[in-house]
Amino acid sequence: MALRNALLRHLRVPVQNLAVRGSNQSQIGFLGSMRAFSSHDDHLSKQDVVDRVLDVVKSFPKVDPAKVTPEVHFQKDLGLDSLDTVEIVMAIEEEFKLEIPDKEADKIDSCSLAIEYVFNHPMSS
Amino acid sequence: MAAPFTLRKIGVPPNSANLTEARRRVFDFFRAACRSIPTIMDIYNLQDVVAPSQLRFSISAQIRNNAHVTDPKVIDLLLFKGMEELTDIVDHAKQRHHIIGQYVVGEGLVQNTGSKDQGKSDFLKNFYTSNYF
Repeated sequence: MALRNALLRHLRVPVQNLAVRGSNQSQIGFLGSMRAFSSHDDHLSKQDVVDRVLDVVKSFPKVDPAKVTPEVHFQKDLGLDSLDTVEIVMAIEEEFKLEIPDKEADKIDSCSLAIEYVFNHPMSS
Repeated sequence: MAAPFTLRKIGVPPNSANLTEARRRVFDFFRAACRSIPTIMDIYNLQDVVAPSQLRFSISAQIRNNAHVTDPKVIDLLLFKGMEELTDIVDHAKQRHHIIGQYVVGEGLVQNTGSKDQGKSDFLKNFYTSNYF
């Protein structure tokens, strides 16, 4: 027992490394908040959504691409009828891989409503 | 990714009471048809021939052909026939050349570039398209 204590007294490790390791610890803490395999923060950015929705509207054959802005109304400004509006909403569904229920789809009348809906939908990709 | 759409075959529903309800049914039918387009392209291998947006356009053109109708019962009958056609197509009861002939070439979307007609006279070209010229 006494021999063991004497031996351990010789093998004491100096404590000053802890201060250095402490700074490494904080760095690891920061990296720990960045999850490499998580998909929680991969929502589309607003600008991305706007660009893609405008592309969909512009590639519609009856639409004049020069008139398309993020606030344009499908029936009043672009001169489309209700069937064309439904077709554009279906094209947006295909682009963002969504399935929009009928009640919501009836309300989408303009580019701004479409952009808002897609941006707020959790499943758009 | 949204779950794949399956066409549900409901029995014949009662007649629509007014034009508004008939309109709603037309839009429901159009949405069902558009959502079946990925299945159709998969069944008939149309990936290289036509784009989904062109198929949507041809479906809407066919609906627009009958846009002048005002009687709700006539609209119901047209929808019934349209639904019958869509069900046949999705069930693979039709074949690829039917789809291409009726919905792709028929609307003038894909030009028929047969090499045997080039360089022939105008007379023959008119003759091939119709009886009167």
